[in-house]
Amino acid sequence: MTGDTKNWPVSQNGLNASGSVSSVLLRDPANPPADSPEYPPELARLPPGRHGLPREFVAHNQRERLIAGLAEAVAENGYAGTTIAHITRHAAVSRRTFYEHFNSKDECFTAAYDTVMTQLREQVGEAFDQEDEWPEAVRAGIAAMLEFLATEPHLARLSMVEALVAGPVVVERYDEAIQSLVPYFQAGREGRPAEVLAGLSPTTEEALVGGMVSLISRRVFADRTEELESLLPDLVEFTLTPYLGSAEAAKVARQS
Amino acid sequence: MAARSTTRPLPGRHELPREFIAQHQRVRIISALAEEIAEKGYRAVTVAHIVKRARIARNTFYENFGCKEECFLAAQDYAMSAALERVVSAAGEIDEWPQRVHAGLTAFLTYVTEEPALARTCMVESLSAGPASVRYYEESQQAFVSLFQLGRDVSPHGGDLPETLEEALIGGVFWILYQRLTGPEADKIGELLPELTEFILTPYLGADEANEIATGSTDTAPDQGGGG
Repeated sequence: MTGDTKNWPVSQNGLNASGSVSSVLLRDPANPPADSPEYPPELARLPPGRHGLPREFVAHNQRERLIAGLAEAVAENGYAGTTIAHITRHAAVSRRTFYEHFNSKDECFTAAYDTVMTQLREQVGEAFDQEDEWPEAVRAGIAAMLEFLATEPHLARLSMVEALVAGPVVVERYDEAIQSLVPYFQAGREGRPAEVLAGLSPTTEEALVGGMVSLISRRVFADRTEELESLLPDLVEFTLTPYLGSAEAAKVARQS
Repeated sequence: MAARSTTRPLPGRHELPREFIAQHQRVRIISALAEEIAEKGYRAVTVAHIVKRARIARNTFYENFGCKEECFLAAQDYAMSAALERVVSAAGEIDEWPQRVHAGLTAFLTYVTEEPALARTCMVESLSAGPASVRYYEESQQAFVSLFQLGRDVSPHGGDLPETLEEALIGGVFWILYQRLTGPEADKIGELLPELTEFILTPYLGADEANEIATGSTDTAPDQGGGG
């Protein structure tokens, strides 16, 4: 992980001693800052009263802090146990400010979820695109995903465990997020010999993605995110086997 | 409590054993919960909804379950046990491993097709119903993991297969079913049998042999009747 954002003092008593929650959540892609991509650290926590900053800038900063505050509160209390008071305390804003940005806890959670998923998707997409060969690209994409989730255990939990209990809107997005991985694997059909294609069904990719996610989310659920990166060879072999056969898939999986 | 419920006249004479009635009542409540969930989603369902659908007194609900969550866990246990029982009895009689997997999967998909509301409770809503239920969901997959693992003995490269293969395979199958149960084609789940069989068998046997067995070109394909 790089970037100054990691050290922003979003919360003094929160979980970002590790830098974890704020580093990703303070970059809210749904609502990017007007023109300055980086806030000076001393402004990350805006002082009360007048500070002469543009309105929009302040509003944006508040929204980001609320999102980061939610992630911290959820990491501490779980989704169900999190109240708006927890969120505003972590974000160090008033309850009224919360309601200026979000109508409910669910809405704030959805914003946090979207922020995390956008980051995750970006990292996976970048890693995938950097490789020329499809099998290596799959490997790189999976590696990027595991790295992200292992580095951000709270966000891993937010996006893979808490999302499912956060109501139908988020559950629907969760389903979509998983399905959005399907095209990466479908790309593997290209140029494959006819006998290989004959062995693939319309649901092959969905099943591969589902299998991969279930391995990951089990470990996140059990608070074993430190094991995630060691899943890489297994996941690569599992997902490549239908396209390359097990011997070739194992070869790509076990290269270092 | 008990004294209060006598104020409500019981319909008919009760010559059936108490236990039978109690069991019947539980199943009725569980079915009502599953139907309510299929309609509204777990979070939106209240005890009042369940009571109304089951046409029982609120007291009766609380005589059986402490709360909605407890009722949900019972529903999950009831449906998953029933499904696994069918899998075991279908697969247990078959000696050849690939056909055994095929038979087990057939039985499982048949159950899911026959009981879509209960299947949805187990395979979709259980993920949203809190940690106990997620844990149960994961544990219930273990039976399949054991069944699939036997494939390592018949696979020419069984010793080299990744340790997590079975976990990933069952995760994939459950995800496909999750998708179908939440989509418009829940009634067509039975049609997934060949592709899911092939998906499971391929890592062990290679695509060709897996395809042969999955498409039923073998004579041990089980009777698929009753999927109505």
